[in-house]
Amino acid sequence: MATQTGPSSKSVFERLLPEGVETEQVLVHGGLLLSIFLMGLPLLLALVMSTQNTTEVYQITNIGVGSEGLSNYQTALNQYGFGEYMINSVVMSVIIVVGKVTLSLFAALALVYYRFPYERAVFMFILLTLLLPVPVRIVPLFDLMARLGWGNTLMAITGPYIASATAVFLFRQHFMSIPASLVENAHLDGVGPLRFLWEVLIPMSKGMIAGVSVITFIYAWNQYLWPLIIISDQSKQVVQVGLRFLQAASQSGLTRWGLIMAGAVLALLPPLAVLIVLHRPLLKTLAIQQK
Amino acid sequence: MSEFTEPYESKWQAFLLLLPTFIVLIAFLYYPGLETFRLSLSQTILLGSQKVFVGLENYVTLATSSEYHSSFAISVAFAAVVVIGTLAVSLFVSYLLFEVDVGSSTYLIAAIWPYALPTAVAASVLLFLLHPSLGIITYYLEQLTGTSLDWFTNGPQAFAVVAVVAIWKQLGYNIIFMVAALNNIPETLTESAEIDGVGHLKMLYRVYIPLMSPTLVFLVVMDTIYAFFSTFPLVDLMTSGGPSGATNLLIFKLYRDAFEFSSLGLASAESVVLFAIVAILMYVQLRLSESYAHYGG
Repeated sequence: MATQTGPSSKSVFERLLPEGVETEQVLVHGGLLLSIFLMGLPLLLALVMSTQNTTEVYQITNIGVGSEGLSNYQTALNQYGFGEYMINSVVMSVIIVVGKVTLSLFAALALVYYRFPYERAVFMFILLTLLLPVPVRIVPLFDLMARLGWGNTLMAITGPYIASATAVFLFRQHFMSIPASLVENAHLDGVGPLRFLWEVLIPMSKGMIAGVSVITFIYAWNQYLWPLIIISDQSKQVVQVGLRFLQAASQSGLTRWGLIMAGAVLALLPPLAVLIVLHRPLLKTLAIQQK
Repeated sequence: MSEFTEPYESKWQAFLLLLPTFIVLIAFLYYPGLETFRLSLSQTILLGSQKVFVGLENYVTLATSSEYHSSFAISVAFAAVVVIGTLAVSLFVSYLLFEVDVGSSTYLIAAIWPYALPTAVAASVLLFLLHPSLGIITYYLEQLTGTSLDWFTNGPQAFAVVAVVAIWKQLGYNIIFMVAALNNIPETLTESAEIDGVGHLKMLYRVYIPLMSPTLVFLVVMDTIYAFFSTFPLVDLMTSGGPSGATNLLIFKLYRDAFEFSSLGLASAESVVLFAIVAILMYVQLRLSESYAHYGG
């Protein structure tokens, strides 16, 4: 970290200031606090307004805590299906995380610790799927789900997501960085591949597994377009699409914005909590992803 | 990779370990991906019950449709605004995070949280806070600038609002990568420049940005893909493509053509265009990262 500054800074910005490190750090802190405040402001306002009733919301400049307290949250959860949507989103995201991590660990194990023909081609075959995000294959995928009879099922919103080029790539990179001597020892002991994965590789990959899980959870939780299309039974819908239904909520002709803000806060909490708790492995994992 | 790291020989085991991944990728990615190309050469008739081969007709329709032209132009402009806006704000915040003496890890979490912000949540919150008649931010913006804002009817304003929300959501991701890149810059370099009395802005432009360029290229590509592919909830929840098509991004038009108007052939042709965009971007990223690799980056 650079904490020291040059004695004769040359920019216009610098010349306006008195000399000295502390003044500059005051500006840095000030700039950061302002940026962070602006980035968080919409969320703070949403939190406050999620406690307001419709009358209070319509007093535009009213930013006091409203008279509804937490009752908008209760209404969203109990009367507008958010309880169900939240559960559906959690189930979907957990299945995708567990599925993707498991499948990708298997694939990376094969790619790094086995010798087989066309290894390079196999790896490329997996990586090339980066060219096929959902919108590129959305019509045939919808068709396929209809033919499989998977419409309105968990399979439809999890199946297409449980294999991933990114996760295989990250685990492969990580396995390749594990010292060969450790691997040799395990092999000399005659350990089979699955025990080797379970007893040697996974304990050595905890940070990476946590990082991939966070990335995947946040990604899965954010899904909107695909569930919107493939899930038509409202009780099976995920919470992001639930926000769309909530827009129609009104009371004597007025949109219930307090209720919508409560729904938005609910739909943000799980991934935000995961990010805050697991930000360290996430940051480490993303640093590898770019390469 | 050394020989030592491949202790297992059984080709069957390798195949079995790869099989689950292969099944998913073939069934849900490659197969529908290829089907998109085939469908783009057909048209559905009788409410989707029959498909007829029409050659390149869907592509001709797209090439001659003024609505598609405008959607394409809007998407490109939107991507440009989102990429530039995101990079500029993220660079500013990241540089401050890099320069700050104490509390950097606390600041970091407070700055990267939008990475966890779902797009639909960002859309819902700002739809209300920027609401032309009810939004508190709109109210104070109008007081401050003395103008009247109504992005429900004004196209350019709607475009700007959707872009601002898209940028807000993408800041966390960009700051994560930029801070990592800045922290990778050798300290000796920073120190020697400081001894020479190089000013901060000059340091940023002459030293840091060039050294960060592999990361910046990566972010340009990822942000562009984001602007084209992940912004559907913003349009769907905030503008429905309006007013008069001003925010009718390609991804939104594709959704409508496929699932509201059931023009599956035409929608597939639009998917192929999106595929071309992502393919070009990935190719650029690959080429540039190869050229940086020569510098040991």
